[in-house]
Amino acid sequence: MISFEHVSKRYAGGNQALSDVNFHIAAGEMAFLTGHSGAGKSSLLRLILMIEKATRGQVVVGGRNLSTTSMRQAPKVRQGIGMIFQDHKLLRDKSVFDNVALPLLIAGLRYADIRKRVRASLDRVGLFAKERSWPLELSGGEQQRVGVARAIVGMPPVLLADEPTGNLDPDLSAELFGLFRQLNQLGVTVLIASHDLDLIRRMNKRVLVLQKGQLIDDIPANTQR
Amino acid sequence: MNSPGIRRWVRAWSRRQLYSFFSSLGALLSHRVGTLMTVLVLGIAMALPIGLYVSLDNLRGVDLRAEEWGSITVFLDAAETTDDAAELLRVINARPDATATGISPQQGLDEFRAASGFGEALDVLDTNPLPWVVLVRPKAMANMDIAAGLEILGEWLKSQKGVDVVQLDYKWLKRLSSLLALGNALVSVLSLLFSLAVVVVVANTIRMDVANRSDEIEILSLVGASENFIRQPFLYSGFWYGLMGSALALGLLFMSLHYLQSPLDQLLDAYGNSFRLSSLTFRQAFLVLLSGGGLGFLGAWVSVERYLWLLRRGGLLGRI
Repeated sequence: MISFEHVSKRYAGGNQALSDVNFHIAAGEMAFLTGHSGAGKSSLLRLILMIEKATRGQVVVGGRNLSTTSMRQAPKVRQGIGMIFQDHKLLRDKSVFDNVALPLLIAGLRYADIRKRVRASLDRVGLFAKERSWPLELSGGEQQRVGVARAIVGMPPVLLADEPTGNLDPDLSAELFGLFRQLNQLGVTVLIASHDLDLIRRMNKRVLVLQKGQLIDDIPANTQR
Repeated sequence: MNSPGIRRWVRAWSRRQLYSFFSSLGALLSHRVGTLMTVLVLGIAMALPIGLYVSLDNLRGVDLRAEEWGSITVFLDAAETTDDAAELLRVINARPDATATGISPQQGLDEFRAASGFGEALDVLDTNPLPWVVLVRPKAMANMDIAAGLEILGEWLKSQKGVDVVQLDYKWLKRLSSLLALGNALVSVLSLLFSLAVVVVVANTIRMDVANRSDEIEILSLVGASENFIRQPFLYSGFWYGLMGSALALGLLFMSLHYLQSPLDQLLDAYGNSFRLSSLTFRQAFLVLLSGGGLGFLGAWVSVERYLWLLRRGGLLGRI
């Protein structure tokens, strides 16, 4: 579902963010991406989301080679990916319902369908009762779950998360990872960038380790450490 | 794409348009004071050229009796008799573009005597030295400039038998028509300048709108919104600004005309003239609204396009 072949990313300033990264995540797989800050986790996610293009090598997502895809097609690529951000990236002047509905409005769905799917999505993250609330009325954990609801409302085949537990306490973090596991069990491919090593170890999933832009380790799932 | 596919695409497209349409209205209403200020600036800017246009249009419509502004005086040879003069009068009056009246040497003498006060001095002369004089007034021709018509008429009169001197007097007519031409040019220049001003004002307003909502644009972009989806509400906003501005300009214009009518009536009464101020036709007013909206749209497009260009280069999606 997501594959990197000899991918390098060098920024205009000369900063080498990624060098010769190779990995393949199969459809329906769940994996973690870890490493110190500055190791290249965000750069890697940015390439998958087509915010930028790789300097060298090929990034293929859902069968589409992003290296040969025009930037004009980037919205199409992003519509196939549910993205969860560390700072939630919710619109503060829109209700929870409207925030979650965003990807469906972009897709141009009928309002009746939008309502149905937004409620189902909020129900899945346990926020069914909060659809009329405003993001700032919610706790950090709840806001993050709104972000998850927005990421899954369009039923994308791929779910990406960038430090989703960055601002959460351990209990909420564990709960959120549990939610990701459930979504993965429904067949969604999940890639989570995180440096919450304890939690990652407990999840017992595949772990990709980045260091200074290089993939230094690829630990398979179900490996006791 | 098969036809159900096309239908689905069209439906999705129209739902997105509808969403943009309402979200742009919502955005304008959410900062009413700012919207009002922008619309005021636009309205006043647009009222100036429209007002000047309407004034000129009215000036052209006033019965200036332009034909009285020009006349030709024809002096006949001293030898010409009354019959010769009558013949010339008949020939001139037969033309569609002129009327002529004759002044006999005796009439001329009487008028001179009455007007100058040199009556006694004239008695010294044995004979009347004055020739026959024919006054020619051009008739206003529908599709002809009066000044040019006078020129042609003058040439023709010169070629007539027994004509000594032809005097054309249309300085004022020339001045008036050059003033109107200048006014027209002024309307064109002002329209161009103020159209530019409308574009710039809307562009700047939308630029600030865009800057205020850059977070929202970033989020929309990250969850897969196309550039069109991001662009659309701003373009609608620009259109609304332009439309409301031109509606205000029309309102200002109608109010001014209403206010000016009564003093104008008094003025024209003194000249024994009655005149209704004409305003824009329905068609013209519609055109003003439409071009106002169009200019606003253009201004918004300029701003949003610049921002999207930056976004496309990834410069603004700095933080994920």
